[in-house]
Amino acid sequence: MVDIFALSVAHGLLVLAAIRLFARDDLDHEGGEPRRFGARRRPGPADDAQNGGPRA
Amino acid sequence: MIDLCLTAFLGFYLLLGAKRPFLWVLAYLYVDIVAPQIISWGILSHLPTSLIFFTAAFAGWLLFDDKSDSRFTVRQGLLLLLLLYCGYTTITAQFPVEAAEKWSWVWKALVFAIFLPLTLRTRLRIEAAILVMVLSASAIIIDGAIKTAAGGGGYGALRFFVDNNTGLYEGSIISCVAIAIIPLILWLARHGTVFPSDWRVWVFAWALVFACALIPVGTQARTGLVCLGILCLLYLRTAKHRVLIGATMAGAAMIAIPFLPSSYTQRMGTIENSQADQSASTRIAVWNWTLGYVRDHPFGGGFEVYLANTLRFETVQTQTTGNTTTVTKQVVQDGARAFHSSYFEMLGEQGFPGLALWLIIQFSGLIQMELLRRRWKARSGPQEQWQAPLAVALQLAQVIYMIGSLFVGIAFQPFILMLIGVQCGLWSYLRRTDSRVVTRLAERRRLAAKVPIAAASAASGG
Repeated sequence: MVDIFALSVAHGLLVLAAIRLFARDDLDHEGGEPRRFGARRRPGPADDAQNGGPRA
Repeated sequence: MIDLCLTAFLGFYLLLGAKRPFLWVLAYLYVDIVAPQIISWGILSHLPTSLIFFTAAFAGWLLFDDKSDSRFTVRQGLLLLLLLYCGYTTITAQFPVEAAEKWSWVWKALVFAIFLPLTLRTRLRIEAAILVMVLSASAIIIDGAIKTAAGGGGYGALRFFVDNNTGLYEGSIISCVAIAIIPLILWLARHGTVFPSDWRVWVFAWALVFACALIPVGTQARTGLVCLGILCLLYLRTAKHRVLIGATMAGAAMIAIPFLPSSYTQRMGTIENSQADQSASTRIAVWNWTLGYVRDHPFGGGFEVYLANTLRFETVQTQTTGNTTTVTKQVVQDGARAFHSSYFEMLGEQGFPGLALWLIIQFSGLIQMELLRRRWKARSGPQEQWQAPLAVALQLAQVIYMIGSLFVGIAFQPFILMLIGVQCGLWSYLRRTDSRVVTRLAERRRLAAKVPIAAASAASGG
């Protein structure tokens, strides 16, 4: 009985955590749009400056 | 029934992981901590559950996850070095069969600790990993705590789910881990976003902390009591209302003592009087043997080398009746006794290089967390409040582990290696996202790029 109670509490919370994590986009990427599989990071202003400014 | 529920639970995580593969990493953390295949007697016990989720976690990351933010840190490199070194000592082990058996789980725990930080790319992932580790351990802790409160404890007698002495189901190990996760529970309750801080979260958190504190009572593991005492002292060190908290702790201890079983107080009494206790004397004899062994084998004897020891030591027992004190000396012979200390385990099994590597991995964690704490503690932004407390929580957890390790052989305990993985993940994440560090690194790179140009132009001009 105690075993079942302990297992239920922990697993119930783990299921709830999984559902909440599943619903959150910031699990996989923070800020901005998600990057597609294999897509390269867009160059930032610092990269632009190093490369002689943004390209036309 | 339990079997079906556990299978359904794992199936659920597998299903959700199809869209968010990081959930497979979390599922592996759970499988490694709870070991549902041990609890279950049905489907799970016939499947290579651990291997399935180990593969899923790796494949999910390799095939579907974004890797551009993953970084390989120095400490992961040290873990890799330790893995390779352990592989070498396993090949040359004094007891090849037994060593291979230990190697079969050690390599997995080390590889996972190296791999885990690569997946911890976002704040939520770091929190999720800690949450799953704490909730998974809580299954065992809640079970043990309720049984203890109901009077079912005893040294080696507290039974968690099954009669098994492996992993976290061993009394001394769960005692140490239960105390080590208390700072993490409190961090989750205060800064968690999966279960945001509210009264329900705090009620559960304090109930779980209480359950954690009951585990050393239930298992009657002296290590746990020492760890709990040290944790209280460490909390007092940084607490704002030291006197109040100290008085509350002392009051709680005073109230608790009469409720403790006499077997517990008797056993804890042997912390002071170690000469009369065979368990303590055995440890000292094993440690002496280890020191002698590494003098002849500086590169260690490989896993499970303690099987080679034969010990002969004396226990001294004094008994006072009226004015007469009787001293009884007893010579005890023993052999093949385990190290009962992670430091001596590393020294005996992996020799001086292994112990040095392991110590560097441990101490560098303490230093890194201290650096993070100092870097983030004075910040006032709304998104800058969780970093320093998490670094402190991970540091405290490691201090508790290192103290517990003095008396328990848990050098390769997967749970602790996961904690090291989380530390590496946090370090790497904050280095990457901290605007101040990013600016400083960019400046350093810019200067480094300028120097060769200046040198070249000076050379061509002169």
